[in-house]
Amino acid sequence: MEIAGIFKYLYELLAGSGLSQTWVDIIALVAAAVMVFGVLALIALFLVWWERKVSGHIQQRFGPMMTGWHGWRQTVADAVKLLQKEDITPSAVDRPVFYWAPIICFVAAFAAYVTIPFGKELIVSDLNIGILFIIAITTFTIISLLMAGWGSNNKYALLGGMRSAAQVVSYEVPMVVSVLAVVLFAGSLSMVDIVESQAKIYQWYIFRLPFGPIAFIIYIIAATAETNRTPFDIPEAEQELVAGFNIEYSGMKFAMFFLAEFVNMFTVSAIGTTLFLGGWQGPLLPSWIWFFIKTLALVFVFMLFRWTYPRLRVDQLMEFSWKFLLPVAFANLILAGWMKYSGWFNW
Amino acid sequence: MTEPGLNTEEFQVNMGPHHPSTHGVCRFILTMDGEEIVEAEPVIGYLHRALEKICENRTYQQCIPVLDRFEYCTSMSCNEAFALAAEKLGGLEVPERAEYLRVIMLELNRIASHLIWFGTTSLDLGAITPFLYGFREREDILDLFEMTCGQRLTYNYIRVGGVAKDIPPEFIPKCKQFLDTFDAKVDDYEKVLTENPIFIARNKDVGVMSAELAIAYGVSGPSLRASGVRYDIRKDDPYSIYDRFKFNIPVTFNGDCYDRYLIRIAEMRESAKIVRQALEQLPEGEIAGKSTMNYKPPAGEVYSRIENSRGEMGVYIQSPGKVKKPLRVKLRGGSYNQLEVMPELVKGHKIADVVAIMASLDIILPEVDR
Amino acid sequence: MVKQLIDGIKNLVIGMMTTSKHLGRHAVTLQYPKEKWPMPERSRGVVVLLSDKETGKLNCTTCLLCARACPSSAITIKYEKDENKKRQLKDFIVDYNICCLCGLCEDACNFAAIKLAPKYEFSTLNKEDLIWHTDKLQEMGRDVPYEKPVKKKRPAPKPAAKSAAKPAPEPEAAKTDDKPAAEKTDKPEVKPEERKPEAKPEEKPKAETPAEKKTDDNKPDEEKK
Repeated sequence: MEIAGIFKYLYELLAGSGLSQTWVDIIALVAAAVMVFGVLALIALFLVWWERKVSGHIQQRFGPMMTGWHGWRQTVADAVKLLQKEDITPSAVDRPVFYWAPIICFVAAFAAYVTIPFGKELIVSDLNIGILFIIAITTFTIISLLMAGWGSNNKYALLGGMRSAAQVVSYEVPMVVSVLAVVLFAGSLSMVDIVESQAKIYQWYIFRLPFGPIAFIIYIIAATAETNRTPFDIPEAEQELVAGFNIEYSGMKFAMFFLAEFVNMFTVSAIGTTLFLGGWQGPLLPSWIWFFIKTLALVFVFMLFRWTYPRLRVDQLMEFSWKFLLPVAFANLILAGWMKYSGWFNW
Repeated sequence: MTEPGLNTEEFQVNMGPHHPSTHGVCRFILTMDGEEIVEAEPVIGYLHRALEKICENRTYQQCIPVLDRFEYCTSMSCNEAFALAAEKLGGLEVPERAEYLRVIMLELNRIASHLIWFGTTSLDLGAITPFLYGFREREDILDLFEMTCGQRLTYNYIRVGGVAKDIPPEFIPKCKQFLDTFDAKVDDYEKVLTENPIFIARNKDVGVMSAELAIAYGVSGPSLRASGVRYDIRKDDPYSIYDRFKFNIPVTFNGDCYDRYLIRIAEMRESAKIVRQALEQLPEGEIAGKSTMNYKPPAGEVYSRIENSRGEMGVYIQSPGKVKKPLRVKLRGGSYNQLEVMPELVKGHKIADVVAIMASLDIILPEVDR
Repeated sequence: MVKQLIDGIKNLVIGMMTTSKHLGRHAVTLQYPKEKWPMPERSRGVVVLLSDKETGKLNCTTCLLCARACPSSAITIKYEKDENKKRQLKDFIVDYNICCLCGLCEDACNFAAIKLAPKYEFSTLNKEDLIWHTDKLQEMGRDVPYEKPVKKKRPAPKPAAKSAAKPAPEPEAAKTDDKPAAEKTDKPEVKPEERKPEAKPEEKPKAETPAEKKTDDNKPDEEKK
């Protein structure tokens, strides 16, 4: 049941309705944005619930059970509660900076979905610089972290924000280098081209030994650090002295940071699926179902990380990135380049 | 961490009494130079309940529930320390079955306390799951206690002269069932944490305590044995019937947080061994059942100590003679000394290490503040 | 260095497998308001007053031992003396704001009149509701099973009873003779005998010491029957 056909039909309906081309384009883009936003909101809701259930069952307890069958309505209840909370703005904050930080975080999280392929021909816009665009947009979250830390006018928030920004920047580099190895092989930055170059299962980049698994592992580690999840969640840890950049936020602004974290987790999983696991390719089932299955599998791996491992101290974290991950990523890139050049494992 | 020519200032950070990782209400005033700690000053007294003064107005049997609350994670040990002291004063003999029951309860309580330590240590370091695994095991132990004496945390079970009630018939099969599965569960915990490179990186070479420092501050218990000093009151100054059981004393020599972790995991296994042996050797007999409300020991003073899961727990009683109430009761807890040695251990480390060190020393505040 | 790396990765994977193994297991928790744990019969919940099964009267004889035994002074007993100088119970008050559920009152009672029943859901919004009087205590105790105490449980040190009580500890003392510690043979025989004569004179000085928590100074021995 391919739903790309439905969208094509709707677009033709719109084009044939007599409006000028620019209007048609504008309406189509707005409709696409609203649809993507709706899907992502639902996904974020689902992920919050799923995380609580997975963590519960790992710990041999149930998780939410009271709100609906096995607590499926729990996130809705939490969202309604957060909406009703008082939006406290401390008096000494830097107002514009404080106000815009969660908005930028939220927008950056969603804007990356312009060029993520949800299925065959289910992409908002297949830019020919696809993966570069995504990495550039996800870097905007660093700005929002710094704004949150600075704008809160609180030394602990500032420390937390700076640490968080340092962490995200440090792990951005190995992530990009590991992605580069894949791009080198695929020969193109466009997301659709990368997926199509993995047409058979043995062509998936995760299976292209020896550079594939190494690049995948580096990507997973770096992605965990990008989204501030354990074992790299020093900025958000309650057990540390500095509780993080979002101390002063309450109510809906806090909800935005919170949801943005889960959307980010889905984004990095989606990128991982596209680059390493063959995107929407798969037999029998429609392409978008395969995409969701693979992405949710990666999200599940992130959740397992969170509930199994202790967290690293901040200096150990930075040391790990610069002294270990980055050299390995560069070595991997050189290896990938040599493999492509020599034609070895290059089917 | 200072560079020449750069003017830096030390600032003070308050790790306040309301903190999720200070194992109670403990306040630290940390003087930091950048990220490193220069000085740490603990401020205590937030949990002072005047237990020693309360005991001056209670009869010996009434002191037992009061002292339950002295260190509520190992309430049986508190009962035992006081009962030993009171019995020494009056020259009471405890029946055999009561001695064996006491040992069983003490060692089960030691396992329960170490499970709390295990859970909270991993929770402080960010791994939330082992906390729940530890508490799942602890539920079995608390069920055993509940079926015997009726309570799960403050037992009022070990009385002066014996124990309060005999074990019900379903205790022994349930205890054996628990012990049979316990070793496999401890193996599970070790799989999750012991060789985990992140855990090792957080704990190795952090908070190194040399043997001389430990002895100078009067540290005792697993923290002392991690620094290489082989001293365990159960073997070196035996009380009750500990000389009848075969068990090992684990000792390591680095004195860092990782060693203290290894020792406590090994101690859990040793305690399980002791409980198994005690269950096999358990004789029939009386248990000095009905509590003696009118215990009046002769005049004198006595200090008796036991090996608690956190160190040496001691009770000093001074009795004026033939009176129901003690004149003075002084309590000694192991956590107090370990809190005193903390400022020496955290110098030069980062804030995240304060949490790791405090968790590994297994300090709980009721024992410090009484 | 490489070995360290491989060990590290192997242990990270083993850790993850150990936690994900639990995903297949059933949860060990209860959904509390709907499912409740069956409390063991010795479980120390609230203090209740026990009544005779046939007549429905309270077993309590107002001996005041439980009030004296309580370490928190949570029990207040109001009584008045009738024409035979026996105490008649007017009101038995237990203050649950203070009671620490230690069970010393149950141990002190010789008449199976007070017990800690395994009941525990009594939180209220105001403190006065937590001060229970005789009627509520008796009503809570109606469905609590108990054993009427047998005569030999009474430590009343009558001279005739002393010779009857002596054979009971001796076989147990003989048992302890078999144990290897030889010096322990004397003491178990000495201890019960020393205790019993002490019991009587002890009651008298108890009445004189001023540091009593309860106001009554009577000798409870004679009136225990």
